[in-house]
Amino acid sequence: MAGILDFAPAIVLLPFVSFLVALAVGDRLPKGGAYAGIAATAGSLVLSIATVLTVAGGQTYDATIYTWAEGLEAVDLTFGVLIDPLSAMMLLIVTLVAFLVHVFSLGYMNDEGETGLPRYYAGLGLFTASMLGFVVADNLLMAFMFFELVGLCSYLLIGFHFREPGPPSAAKKAFLVTRFGDYFFLVGVVAVFATFGTASFVGSESFPALAEAALRGEASVTTFGFAPQTWFTIVGLLVLGGVIGKSAQFPLHTWLPDAMEGPTPVSALIHAATMVAAGVYLVARMYGFYAVSPTALAIIAFVGGFTALFAATMGLVKREIKQVLAYSTISQYGYMMLALGGGGYVAATFHLMTHAFFKALLFLGAGSVIIAMHHNENMWDMGGLKDKMPVTYYTFLSGSLALAGIFPFAGFWSKDEVLYETLLHGLDGNPILLGAYAMGLLAVFFTGFYTFRMVFLTFHGKPRTQTAEDPHGVRWNVKFPLAVLGVLAAVAGLVNMVPVAELTGLHIEFLHTWLEHGYAGLTTEHYSTLLQDFAGYGAAGLHLSPLLPGAVSLGLALAGSGLAYLLYNVPEPVRHTDRLGGIKKVLYNNYYQDEYQVWLANGVTRPVARAANKFDGGVVDGVVNGVSGVSLFAGGRVRRIQTGVVSNYAVLLTLGLTALLLAFGILGGWFV
Amino acid sequence: MIIEALIAVTFLAALVVFVAPDEYAGRLAAALSALPILGSLWMWAQYDASGNALLGGSIAFETDVVWLTLGGLDLHWFVGVDGISLPLIVLTTILSTLAIVSAWTPITDRESQFYGLMLFMEANLLGVFTALDFFAWFVFWEAVLVPMYFLIGVWGGPNRRYAAIKFFVYTNVASLVMFIGFIALVFGLGDSVSSMRLPEIAQALRAGELGAFAGLDAATLKTVAFVAMFLGFAVKVPVAPLHTWLPDAHVEAPTPVSVMLAGVLLKMGTYALLRFNFTMMPDVATALVVPIAGVAVISVIYGAMLALAQQDLKRIVAYSSVSSMGYVILGLVAYTTYGVGGATFQMIAHGLISGLMFMAVGVIYNTTHTRMVGDMSGIADRMPLTAGIFVAGAFGYMGLPLMAGFAGEFFIFKGSFESTVHAGMPLFTAAAMFGIVIVAGYLLFAMQRTLFGPFSFDGEYEITNAPFHDVAPLAVLLLLTIVLGVAPDLFFGMIQDAVNPILTGGGL
Repeated sequence: MAGILDFAPAIVLLPFVSFLVALAVGDRLPKGGAYAGIAATAGSLVLSIATVLTVAGGQTYDATIYTWAEGLEAVDLTFGVLIDPLSAMMLLIVTLVAFLVHVFSLGYMNDEGETGLPRYYAGLGLFTASMLGFVVADNLLMAFMFFELVGLCSYLLIGFHFREPGPPSAAKKAFLVTRFGDYFFLVGVVAVFATFGTASFVGSESFPALAEAALRGEASVTTFGFAPQTWFTIVGLLVLGGVIGKSAQFPLHTWLPDAMEGPTPVSALIHAATMVAAGVYLVARMYGFYAVSPTALAIIAFVGGFTALFAATMGLVKREIKQVLAYSTISQYGYMMLALGGGGYVAATFHLMTHAFFKALLFLGAGSVIIAMHHNENMWDMGGLKDKMPVTYYTFLSGSLALAGIFPFAGFWSKDEVLYETLLHGLDGNPILLGAYAMGLLAVFFTGFYTFRMVFLTFHGKPRTQTAEDPHGVRWNVKFPLAVLGVLAAVAGLVNMVPVAELTGLHIEFLHTWLEHGYAGLTTEHYSTLLQDFAGYGAAGLHLSPLLPGAVSLGLALAGSGLAYLLYNVPEPVRHTDRLGGIKKVLYNNYYQDEYQVWLANGVTRPVARAANKFDGGVVDGVVNGVSGVSLFAGGRVRRIQTGVVSNYAVLLTLGLTALLLAFGILGGWFV
Repeated sequence: MIIEALIAVTFLAALVVFVAPDEYAGRLAAALSALPILGSLWMWAQYDASGNALLGGSIAFETDVVWLTLGGLDLHWFVGVDGISLPLIVLTTILSTLAIVSAWTPITDRESQFYGLMLFMEANLLGVFTALDFFAWFVFWEAVLVPMYFLIGVWGGPNRRYAAIKFFVYTNVASLVMFIGFIALVFGLGDSVSSMRLPEIAQALRAGELGAFAGLDAATLKTVAFVAMFLGFAVKVPVAPLHTWLPDAHVEAPTPVSVMLAGVLLKMGTYALLRFNFTMMPDVATALVVPIAGVAVISVIYGAMLALAQQDLKRIVAYSSVSSMGYVILGLVAYTTYGVGGATFQMIAHGLISGLMFMAVGVIYNTTHTRMVGDMSGIADRMPLTAGIFVAGAFGYMGLPLMAGFAGEFFIFKGSFESTVHAGMPLFTAAAMFGIVIVAGYLLFAMQRTLFGPFSFDGEYEITNAPFHDVAPLAVLLLLTIVLGVAPDLFFGMIQDAVNPILTGGGL
């Protein structure tokens, strides 16, 4: 009997069909193909809800649906669909955000009179389909392939306004920087195949299971002369390269702020549900492989903690609303990485979920503000929008409270758990994690500050420009997605209130329960075992109440927000960050990260390429031309014999014949 | 007899087009070249052979008759296909027709001669990929050069004579080196072979029947012959540093000729390397793995760096061919199913994608009369369809999954990383793979500067959408690239079947 999970491929295919429809006949459809996209993502959303309900009933699904390359005396390369609690949850997040982004686009793109809409909706459809394909992938190769398609779609959508100079450049940068990360990922994929002979995520023959078995001495795999754990660490870090690129972690985060050149709904999609989420999701998907390598975990935690702090500081001084949000995204994904490295698998997926809701909300809210401001994004030109656009304001506020991590909004619960898990495992025998924790904790203060600086500058005080006095109105298609996400940003944290569970003894950490189900090798229990056995996380069995760490992080968040309140919630705020002096300049210029990367591309690679070109033209081809020159010269000399005078030829013939006869005669001994 | 029919029909078509009036020559050539496509697709549908044609596998559509006897050796008319050659035949027939269609706009004088030569070249290419006797093969191999020489030398750009002569002399000298190497092997085999049929020679060599010749003992002779043949074929591929004829030839050649040159003629080199060096002498190939994998990596990275330095769109694509063909060499020397199979698949994939890119550059050139990156910007505004296909093709070149290039490259990477011929293969592979970053660099930069941004163009030409018959071949190639990327098994199954016998025995 076909269960609902047999329809899982349709979740991916529906947006793909909308891509084809928009591409082929979008210009003949009303709204440039928007309705096709809305219908498709709505269909996917409904199917995803059904999937989640079915998975909640204890069912899972894993089936190979297509053999991409059938190996003769070699492994098959296949596409398969894996539905377990993690992927079901992600399907729901992606389809919900994609659906709302499609609806919002009606207001942001159609109502604003954009051209090229079929191209836009085709891009959105393909973007959604690629991400969904990535989410359900049951092996690393398939994941890589859809990961790359996600990259393509980001290129197409960031560069949507290709007639302007900025977007094509940003699109190129996004693809190139993430491609640099994907290079390592692809080497990792190939290495996984060479090591384990499979790239499957699930089952006893999957590569995480084989890695575990190899470390337990129950299986042997090719490790290219390294100790197994060292080799697994190397492979894990190679794959992590792709994660760092896509999830915009230091040092490959530079593409993401530039990606703001794309239309704002695309930013919402990129930051909340696709692309950037893909990296972190990948680590969660193959967590069993990382859990056996303490080195890889520590590196993930440090990259995450550092990125969280580093990006938060840059967010402090930005002028444009979308720039603040961009740096907040980098910072928040840092928290997820911190959690994954710190052994908080549930915390990371929890934060992935809450962040998807509140960041989609904030971007769509910013989009609404940008519509109102006639596409001016500078916060210093805004002010006082609160009373003119209440729906946007209150939903944006809900998202901001969640982002800042203020009780009881969604972000509070998830960020709290991220920090708690890292602290717990840090105190419990892995002191190295405490450094990463400290960075994450400090970033909470900055997050509170930049978030509310943004809120107050945009919505509070007096309008600072004519446009802000009389903003452009927005319609239902903008307000509806905001309302849905505004509610979710407020309440999504309820699914996993660990401190409350601790306090009351009630079993209300539903997300923990949710992720305990599914395939044996992919549950939180199994991951805890691995973390304990191979990385020593939780080895001492330390018990730590989540209340005090929670109170500390909430206190910091409130302090940061409070400072922003004092400085910016005034009728006519001034640029307080100017007091930072030289530091502000460094922060505003993003620690000169872009400069050195541009220098690497233009200052190093290009001159090397030009030198290679000179070498090629001068030396390599010079030798070729030299050889031919020598032969031409020789040929030219020989040609002089051919005078065209018959008597000369006769002389030459006679002399030649005589010489030959003489030679033969001497050699043959005729004259002896 | 289908192979003879295929070659004969193409020769006849060439003759007919030669004498046809110039006005109709292009249309007539395209129509007639549809016949070989039908033939090759029929062969693909009917194909039921298995194994490697040189190593005792069954040979499809085989003909083997004694032609003449020369110095104790029988020369045979011996043709047939296996899973390695059949995909190349399909590629040749399809790409020839598309190249002919793409010539309709740029070729405006002596059309009947141009199209006649194109068909004449196609016929010889079909001969190269089907001949299984060395003599017949060599005749076709050399005969391909003649039409190519004239196509570049007559219809080429301002520096066409230099480019044509360089191409002809360089590849001909290479053929000579290769020929000497092969003939030395034949003499070394002595009486153990009775003909120059490639299967006979391949099996004798793999069975270790090579004797001493010209003062060289068998092992040295084999190595010397391997190196001579490798160098000879490497020029054709081309492998760095023997590549310098290629950019000159491409820059001067008209678009359709570039399409054939990059799409099919380069594959003659890799096909011959696979058939001769890597099939016949795996022991020498694996002994020389470090220098071979080394030049493969150098070709990939150095070719890509050179592409990065170019301002001429056509030169960019030309150098990137050097880079892409380096992957093929890496796959061949890996001696794994995915490595050698992937290399063969990459020949097809690169044929389609480089053809697509050269045509796309050609369509832009037809309209703007320039190919320099700095001369134009934002032309996507005026030629949206062409620009869209250009972008898609460029991503194909960058190895976007679900397009043919990714399949070929991934198979090669997988196959060479897990190869056991040398402990350093994972490092060689990882080094070569960095090409996927550089290729993204130069193509993205080129697209950003020419296709996107505010429209500007200094020339006096009106920039509008290209005519349908210019864009249609692009669309067909794009479609084929995607189809093969989604379903590589259309060819990859038969390729593996033909490749696997190479991987065992013969001193491996």
